[in-house]
Amino acid sequence: MEQIFTLAFLTSFLSAAVSTAIPLAYASMGEIYSEKAGILNIGLEANMLAGAFCSFAVAYTSGSLWMGLLGGIVGGLAVCMLHAFISVRLAQNQTICGIALNIFLLGISSYFLKILVSNNPAFPQVATFPKLAIPGLSAIPLIGEALFNQNILVYILYLLIGMSQVLLKHTQWGNSLTAVGEHPRAADTVGIRVYRTQYLAAAINGMLGGMSGAYMVLAQLGVFTENMTAGRGYIALAVVIFGRREPIRAALAALLFGAAECMQFRMQALGIDLPAQFMNMLPYLITMIALLGSIGKQRDPESLGKPYIRDAR
Amino acid sequence: MKKLLVLVTVCLMILGAIGCSKAPVGGDDAKLKVALCVSGPVNDGGFCAGAYEGLLLAEKDLNVQVSYTENVEITDIEAVFTDYASQGYDLIIGHGFQFGDPALKVGEKYPDTKFVCTNASAKSENVASYELGGKDGSYVMGALAAYMTTSNKIGMIAGMEGPSQIKIIEGYKMGAKSVNPDIEVLYTFTGSFTDVAKGKDAAVAMIDSGADVIAHCANQAGMGGIKAAQEAGILATGNCDDQYEAAPDTIMCSDVWSTPGLIKAAIQDVLEGKFVGDFHELGMAAGMVDIAPYHDFEDKIPQDVKDNIAKLVQSIKDGKLEVPSVSELTD
Repeated sequence: MEQIFTLAFLTSFLSAAVSTAIPLAYASMGEIYSEKAGILNIGLEANMLAGAFCSFAVAYTSGSLWMGLLGGIVGGLAVCMLHAFISVRLAQNQTICGIALNIFLLGISSYFLKILVSNNPAFPQVATFPKLAIPGLSAIPLIGEALFNQNILVYILYLLIGMSQVLLKHTQWGNSLTAVGEHPRAADTVGIRVYRTQYLAAAINGMLGGMSGAYMVLAQLGVFTENMTAGRGYIALAVVIFGRREPIRAALAALLFGAAECMQFRMQALGIDLPAQFMNMLPYLITMIALLGSIGKQRDPESLGKPYIRDAR
Repeated sequence: MKKLLVLVTVCLMILGAIGCSKAPVGGDDAKLKVALCVSGPVNDGGFCAGAYEGLLLAEKDLNVQVSYTENVEITDIEAVFTDYASQGYDLIIGHGFQFGDPALKVGEKYPDTKFVCTNASAKSENVASYELGGKDGSYVMGALAAYMTTSNKIGMIAGMEGPSQIKIIEGYKMGAKSVNPDIEVLYTFTGSFTDVAKGKDAAVAMIDSGADVIAHCANQAGMGGIKAAQEAGILATGNCDDQYEAAPDTIMCSDVWSTPGLIKAAIQDVLEGKFVGDFHELGMAAGMVDIAPYHDFEDKIPQDVKDNIAKLVQSIKDGKLEVPSVSELTD
């Protein structure tokens, strides 16, 4: 146990926790925009998977990581716009559509992977974004390594978290978004374009979800594998609720999950005598406890998941 | 227009989730009729593909009549087994531990049909389980890792806790300790065979605590462990296939399993009347497990280490050394 409380252990642990939290933070930030505008996108997993696959496919064929990132963003965007089209324009059930997309993307991404790599069955992979240490900041004890010796996508995320926090809480546009999610008819009567706002929120959700998947491929693993997101989209949904739909809080919630995940592997590596199944469960258990803890402290947007039909009475 | 769009979308979604195809191949009453059931697509390039390859090998070399069903969900196993048994198939193979219990159940109703399950422990009069002796391979990898480590700490990424995985981990430990009794062998269960990111996180945790050779037995998830080793600039060993192409500067060797060989051996046993309703483990001595070439590590591994490993492999193949089968985790 004493090995846990050394500086070296904590430094490497925090660093791993941040890396693990990044995909969740990206995806949950996108979902915040969407849910604020009243669209409940359960299809986050599909977004991530599309982002992961497209980023891999583009990076693999073009050899460029930045093109890959762009591919991932476009992939996530496409899936999310399909969800938005069905839930806004066709006013269909958002949850069912999201689940259908999750299943659909799981199948189709695996199928396309086989087509993509059929002539090269031996471990198709792409390079990954290198770590960039920020001079000065990365030398801070304990947190410097974790926060400021990461790859470029992590720094982009920091910027996006800051921007989103300001945008959602302190701008007119953020208020309009909230109004659309709370009471679209009222928003409509004061001249806010409800559908346009919702599509825009969905587009942001799609792009960030795509980046989340792209991060896994282009920064974390360098490969695309069948079902590689493995349920992280669902965890991101929990992160959104635990983070009370605020970007900074959600990022911290993602970090908590990342920390739990890394801690269980470290406990296993240290040979702590607990059943492996229990250790594997730990991150999910903590997520559930965290969700229980946030009961009553927040309220969903009034029109979350309800389609707004302009002509209806 | 709206309706058309919905229709097109729905059609696409159905396409994405399509499964279950049945493909009878050839036909002759005198031949032994063999059916294979696999849980995924036969072109998955891995687990199921290996079994399918074995089936085709048997069709070619042993002159049997074959058929297969892919994407068999756990809930459908009994129905698919019953279907084949009632059609008069002589041997029905289920590839994966989940086929064990249904085989026992259906086997009772069709005593003249033989059932073979891989990686399972089911056995009865007409049901046998065949498993690859992965422990032989991991024993050799453990020995190699013990020769190559400088920190005296090595680690193995495993998937889900179960007897077949534990045998491999224990084999790895025994192999390492046969070279260096003081070596510390870490192991971690990721809880998944497919989640690559988890495999990487698990390996990073090991590397941070001082391990400098990483092995795995977690299929796809294990590839994350190799990625972590590559990033940390340490060594790794592959598993199942010759995986050196995934990281030529990191993977010094792999233990190679022949799933096609296992399936073919099971069919051959039935064909030659040697079928016994029992648990069979086929490892190095049976030619089902071996080690891959060292590739780029040919010059990086000292000659005496290579000689010792070659001797070790030979003694397991000759049956002089039998790797104990330990299915409970020690320590």
